Parts: sequence; C-alpha cells; structure tokens
Amino acid sequence: MIETLRTLAPLAWRNIWRNPRRTIITLIVVAMGIFSILIFAAFLRAWADSSRDRVLTLMTSSIQIHARGFLDDPTVKHLFEQPSGPLAEALDHPDIAHWAPRLLFPAIVQSEYRTLPVTLVGVDPAREATISVIPANVIQGSYLSGRQDVRIVLGDKNLARLKTRLGKRVVVLAQAADGTLAERGFEVGGVFSGDSEIEGQFAFVALDTAQDMLGTGNKLAEIAIQVPDPDKLPAVVQALRKAAPDLDIRTWKELSPMAAAVDQMMGLIVYVWLWVMFVLMAIGIVNTQLMAVFERIHEFGLMQALGMRPRMIVGIVALESGMLVGLGILIGMGAAAFLISALSGGVDISGFAEGAAMIGAGTMLYPELDPPQIIQLSIVVWVLGVLVALWPARKAAKISPVEAMTHVS
Amino acid sequence: MCPDTKEATTPGADAPENDSIVVCRNLEKHYRQGAIQVPALRGVDLEIHRGDFATLAGPSGSGKTTLLNMIGGLDYPSAGEIIVDGQDLRALTKSDLAEMRLRKIGFVFQAYNLIPVLTAAENIEFILRLQGVGSRERHERARAALADVGLEGLEDRRPSHLSGGQQQRVAVARALINRPAIVLADEPTANLDTQTAGGLIDLMADLNARHGTTFLMGTHDARVIARSRRHIELTDGRISGDELRNT
Repeated sequence: MIETLRTLAPLAWRNIWRNPRRTIITLIVVAMGIFSILIFAAFLRAWADSSRDRVLTLMTSSIQIHARGFLDDPTVKHLFEQPSGPLAEALDHPDIAHWAPRLLFPAIVQSEYRTLPVTLVGVDPAREATISVIPANVIQGSYLSGRQDVRIVLGDKNLARLKTRLGKRVVVLAQAADGTLAERGFEVGGVFSGDSEIEGQFAFVALDTAQDMLGTGNKLAEIAIQVPDPDKLPAVVQALRKAAPDLDIRTWKELSPMAAAVDQMMGLIVYVWLWVMFVLMAIGIVNTQLMAVFERIHEFGLMQALGMRPRMIVGIVALESGMLVGLGILIGMGAAAFLISALSGGVDISGFAEGAAMIGAGTMLYPELDPPQIIQLSIVVWVLGVLVALWPARKAAKISPVEAMTHVS
Repeated sequence: MCPDTKEATTPGADAPENDSIVVCRNLEKHYRQGAIQVPALRGVDLEIHRGDFATLAGPSGSGKTTLLNMIGGLDYPSAGEIIVDGQDLRALTKSDLAEMRLRKIGFVFQAYNLIPVLTAAENIEFILRLQGVGSRERHERARAALADVGLEGLEDRRPSHLSGGQQQRVAVARALINRPAIVLADEPTANLDTQTAGGLIDLMADLNARHGTTFLMGTHDARVIARSRRHIELTDGRISGDELRNT
C-alpha cells in the first residue's frame, strides 16, 4: 500500500498541475466551499452561544422555580412561599452556584408624559448580581442597594419611551394580592442597558419593597438558579423536583425553546449546509476529474498496457482528487482561520438589534473555530470528495488498453 | 506450426517448442461492427522463438496490430490458443494480464507513448516502480538503460523536451528495462525521419544481438524488414508467409 502510494503520489501531484487553470478553479471552488462551511458553523455556534448566554445571564438562568400556573398567568395569584425545608436544602445542591428570589408581576409605569406596561421584578440585589449581568449593566445611576431600596431601575429603552430621566419619579400601578389596585411612586435610581427586548420589558425594584407594595408577604413568584455545568442540569432539576413536587421547575431549554432549538439544531443545520455546499463542490470535482480522465484516455490505456492494474488506475485518479480536495480544504481552512482571527474581538450586530433579539441573539457575536469540528467537517468533505471522484476513476480503469493501441495505429 | 509458410524452412518447425516464447494455435479474433462480425484474425498458427528478431508485415487491415495485441495480452482472442512464456493467456484475468505484461512483455508503440509528466528516467523507472524495485536500483537501472540507447545526460528531460527519435529510444529503453521475454513493437519507425528510423533499427538490432532480446515488430518499413532475421507476412488475418533470412 505504501509502496503503491509512493509510486502513484508523484504522478498524481504532477497530473493535477497539467492544467493549472482548471486546477486553480477547482481549488477555489473547494476552498470557498470549506470556507463557507467553517464560517457558517462558526457564526451559527456564536449565535447559539449568544442565545444561550443571553438566556442564562440576563433573566432566565439555568433553572426557574414557579408556582404551578404562574407561567400561564404570571400574576400575584400564583405565588409560593419563601424556600424552606427540603427545597432550601435542595437549593444547597453542590452543583448550584447561585440562586435568587424574585417577585414578578405585570405593572404599569407612569411618567409625567407616558404610561408603559412592564414586567416589574422585585429582586434581592445582592443575590440578583450573582445570577444576572443586568445589575452590572447599569449605565446611569446605580443598581438597587438592598432589599428595602425604594428606587426603580429602568431599561434605557423605557427611559426614553417614558420621556423621563434619572432622579425623576414614576408611578407604578399593579394588582395587589388582595385584588385591589396598588400604587406607589419610585425614584428612577438607575438605568440599565441590555438588549432591546429586555430593556423594553423589565423594570426592577427591591424585593421587600415589591412584596410590601403588593401585600404578598414573603411570597415569591420565581426563583432563578444558575448551574454552571450543563451536564449537571438534569440531576439538579431532579433533586429540586423531588424536594418541591408541588412547584413548577423548568430548565432554560423548556423556558426558552428558541434558544434551546438553536443549540440543538446547530449541528444539523451545519450538516445541511455542508451537504448543500458539498453538492456544489462535487459538481466541480467530478467535472474536473471527468475532463482530466477524458483528456488522458490514451495515457490510461498506455499505463495499463505497460502493466498497471485497473485498480491502480482507480487509485491514481482518486489520489489526484484527494490531493486536489485536500489542498482546497487547507486553503479554505486557512482563509477561515484568518477571517475568524480577524473577528476575534466580536462582531457587533447591534445595528440589527431588533432582528438579533428576534432570533434570540445578543448584540455581539463571537465566532470561533472549533478544532474538532474543523477536523470532522474537513474529513467528511475530503472523504466525500474522493468518493465522488471514484466515478471518473472507474471510467478511467475501464478503458481497454487496446483503445490506446488502436489510437496509435 | 505455421502452415501458410512459403519457404521450405518453416521456422516454427525448426525449433523445439520449449524454446518458443510465443505459441499461437488457430488464433481467431472477430470484432463486431453493429450486427456484422468482422474477422481480424482467421486461424493464425505462429511460434516466436527466443532471440528472434522478427518482423510482421502486411497491408493495412491485415491483422498485424490485432495479432500483436493478442500476443501482448492487451485483448482476448475470440478463439484459439495463445501461450506466452509458458502461460496460457486465455486463463488470465485482466489483472493477471496486466501483471504478465509488466513482467514479460516490452512494448514500443508507433506514437512515442511516454507519460508526459515524467522525465525520461522516470518513464523508465515507472515500470520498475510497478514491479516494486527499490529506489537505488531503479535509478541505476534507468540510467544504465538510457545510456544503452545513447541518451546519457538526457535523464531529466520530459518528453516534450526530447525529439521524436529520442522519445522512441526512451520507449525502447522502457520496453527493455523489465528484461522482458519479448519486445512487441508496432510500427516503431512510422513517425520517424529516415536517419532517426535507421538509428532506431540499429539500436534494436544491437540490443537483440547483445542481450538476445526477442523482438517482434509489426511494420511496413522496408528498412526494418531488411534488418530482420525472420519475416512473417500476414494477409487478411492469415499468415501468408514466414521466412528465415540472413542479414
């Protein structure tokens, strides 16, 4: 085998350069194909990572606990008690890094000029800072300082919509636990930036203040939990469900199916794209090899006349294709690595913020090449490239040496 | 045995069969052209002996190339028997025939038929590579073979940088490199000018004389026929003459 390769390899290498223009065109086709596959995979991965990170670090976290019915009717009617007993013990699970209690409720925020519907979130600021990046994304003023803080933190988008500013007062209206309309004035103490959707949907107040305003006592609407290791997620969920069978405990994948779908479908989408690109590449490869074979019918006949076995003819054409595709893959990989390296600081898609939010992504994408994936995709393309070349190779091997003799006589 | 010989001395009868490199018995080959079967060889009986320097002549369409193809294992006969160096070619697969050609047959074709991407030396080494000969031996033998055909110093030239005569000499060197049982040459001088053709004939005659290599040459060229020691005539797919000659 090695001896055969040593015999055929130099011949194959020189053969592919017999028609440099055709070889270069094929190399460009293969290189562009593999380049687009790798870039597509990198951006898709970045999108999936961005969607997942957005879910995990903004509001959703890894796991959420609610009272049953809350997700269908997120009001003060569906609250649960502060964790105690088995649930409190389960929240001490070693795989849970942090958790934070929240009281979410629909509310109306009213400024001097405008009225906006929001989801008001009562938070424990210290705990919230451990599970969400929003407290760190305050661009004006400061985040809430404690559970009794009486200020409100608004999203930058809502600040503009309400035509208000830091230090001004807004009025919050919401349904209290007893069914009456609760009303309370808050000073705008901070403004956060996030993505457009989050800025427009949420406003934050201190947990005790919110509970006091709505008269819910110590009750909560949500506990958000961070589990850093995704592999541990099922075990943690199982432990929590066992500890609190009456509560609704869901993972981020159940809460944000879009982000989960992106995460799960990414591999499939990459392979669909790979096949689309490969069909285009295959047309180029087969075309090149068929032309190369038809131009050298005489030569293949001669080689067989001189004692080359038909399978070696198949070998030489397959080897030529292997070299051509392999070289194209290397060029495509190099170009992809160069581009991804140039984009290592991230790609700002904030200009498409609305669209980005719609597809579940943040405003920055950080495309990265995944070496095992590069190797896997390259091997798949290379093997397929060699396989499609077997068709012209078999044609070459079937050529009777007599045809060559007839040709010369 | 060759029943159609004109001379009283029948070459096939003079030599013992175990001295025969090639034995053809009642060899037939038909080609199909649409619904019609066209006979190319019609019951050829022929023996070629070790050391023969023989020419195979006849008008176009007489079956010279077909007979050379059969002997060279490039095509299967329609009927009859063909034995080359003791091997019945009918029993061999395509792969076996390729192996037989590699080990036992040297070919020189009308067109120069060198592999264009390989140098003169590499074209010769190609045969040795297929035989699995080691690198050093390959180089030495290829260079020696080129020197033998008067092409010393041209080892690294590609065919496109060699004249027609030089290319045909490389082809002869390639045909001889595997120390074949027989060299089959189909119109080897057809594309060469008079002087170059003369040089090639001298070369092949010299190699036959020095190494005892058996040559069977299909040709129209009177100069080649004049130098041969055995002349076989083929007419309409049959041997119409077979004579030994003193040159």
